[in-house]
Amino acid sequence: MKKLDLFNAPNSREDYNNQIHSIGRIFTWIALALICAVPVAFCIAAKVVPDWGAIAACITFIAGYWAIGLIEAFSYAPLLGTGGQYLSFITGNIANLKLPCALNSQNVAKVKQGTEEQEIVTTISIAVSSIVTTIIIIIGLIPLAIFQEELVEVLQPISPYVMPAIFGGLTMALLAKYWKVALIPFGVCFLICIVGNLIGMGSALSQSTMIIVGMVVSCISTTILYKKGLLDGKKKAPVETPAVSADVQESQEETPVQEEIKEDDVQE
Amino acid sequence: MDFVVIYVLGAIIATIIIAMSVVFLIKALKRAKAINMDKAVITETIKNSAIFSIVPSIPIVIGIGVMMQYVGLAIPWIRLTVIGALQYEIAALFAAGAAEVGASTSVIASAVVVMTLSIISGPLFNAIFYKKYQTKLYDIQTNNAKKMDAITGALLGGMLSGIISSILVGGAFTIGNPTFDKSGVGTYGEITLITLAASVVITGICGAIMIFGKQKWMESYALPISIVGALGIAFAFVPVFA
Repeated sequence: MKKLDLFNAPNSREDYNNQIHSIGRIFTWIALALICAVPVAFCIAAKVVPDWGAIAACITFIAGYWAIGLIEAFSYAPLLGTGGQYLSFITGNIANLKLPCALNSQNVAKVKQGTEEQEIVTTISIAVSSIVTTIIIIIGLIPLAIFQEELVEVLQPISPYVMPAIFGGLTMALLAKYWKVALIPFGVCFLICIVGNLIGMGSALSQSTMIIVGMVVSCISTTILYKKGLLDGKKKAPVETPAVSADVQESQEETPVQEEIKEDDVQE
Repeated sequence: MDFVVIYVLGAIIATIIIAMSVVFLIKALKRAKAINMDKAVITETIKNSAIFSIVPSIPIVIGIGVMMQYVGLAIPWIRLTVIGALQYEIAALFAAGAAEVGASTSVIASAVVVMTLSIISGPLFNAIFYKKYQTKLYDIQTNNAKKMDAITGALLGGMLSGIISSILVGGAFTIGNPTFDKSGVGTYGEITLITLAASVVITGICGAIMIFGKQKWMESYALPISIVGALGIAFAFVPVFA
């Protein structure tokens, strides 16, 4: 059996990937153990036993979040890359922070989907984001402990608007690349939201619910378009960003977007 | 509620998260060097990720402030440092009956158990099944890159579609009819749509400056600027509608 050395420089993408899996799994198990130790430590410190009846009454709630967690882990995986997936599912705040941050970095770095460059940029982006967020939270605890009421009173009213603030700009930046695959799911999601609100079920159609609905609809519609060959030839344009370094040389068919960027680079 | 042992656990968890991030960062940086990736791209990625993350992190701190009135400071700190988000935690507090000031420590203990059990499916999936699943994804990428492009494009397009349609329609239906979450914070449709429009317009302006003004540096800062600008506009409009 091949022994995996976590500290040696990997020779290939596969080696690197295996190392990231091994490190990711170790940290995930450690983090899970610590997370599960919190309620145990709380009960010991407070000298109380949880109300098992109340916990049993929350079974459907827990099952619902288990389902959401599994769907998220399954569907975010192709977008987050190996390192990003392990990090994001320990540090949380994926849809409102880690994924937009990684997408912005991929967009700025102009890395090609599925390449090792994309994997590296995504991992760096999510690692840096996790460090910054953890430090900001620690720093934030000090003023929060002193001025809790004042701070919450001033800043809490704008909390519901963080998602529109992030995704307005991010959608604008990504629209050129993804509009073809996003057109049908957007139409369907828009319709579902309108009908849901008209029949008084608007509160059930939160952003986290609609992400899952949008992904399911999009996978179905893209599969149909793909099988009918409607994405062929021009398919690369909506999903592919211009490549960097070696990828540019490897690319045989360049999209109009890539050619446009190259022209811009020449002008500069 | 704020026992020393919980703070110690919180400190250990924060240390583990930073250690994990640093290890992954070093591994990725070394690999980038090994495959001769452009240093400027790496530096730019680190810079724009750090800048991007500052503003969206502030509501997480506010979330701790919201939760601490029910369960003290230490528990929300841990909950919002690891997987989980304010809306999940508040929902768990309500489900366990702990979302009231002065709840007993037994009720809070039950709420912490519910919070913990609810969010572990994602990391468990990663620890047990993710390597196998990722190997399948990697096979698709190797054998049929076009198919993998279509999958990632579909997931991203679907995510953006779901979020934007929810924001747009949710915003339109709550004009003049704000909704209030369980912690009492109101969401005003007018401000939601103004914030979304402001974010789009500011990004457009940044794009125009970048292209027509030939200011390439703007590319890295366009999104953080649009987030700060749009939230600033939301902040200005809150007193108007609230």
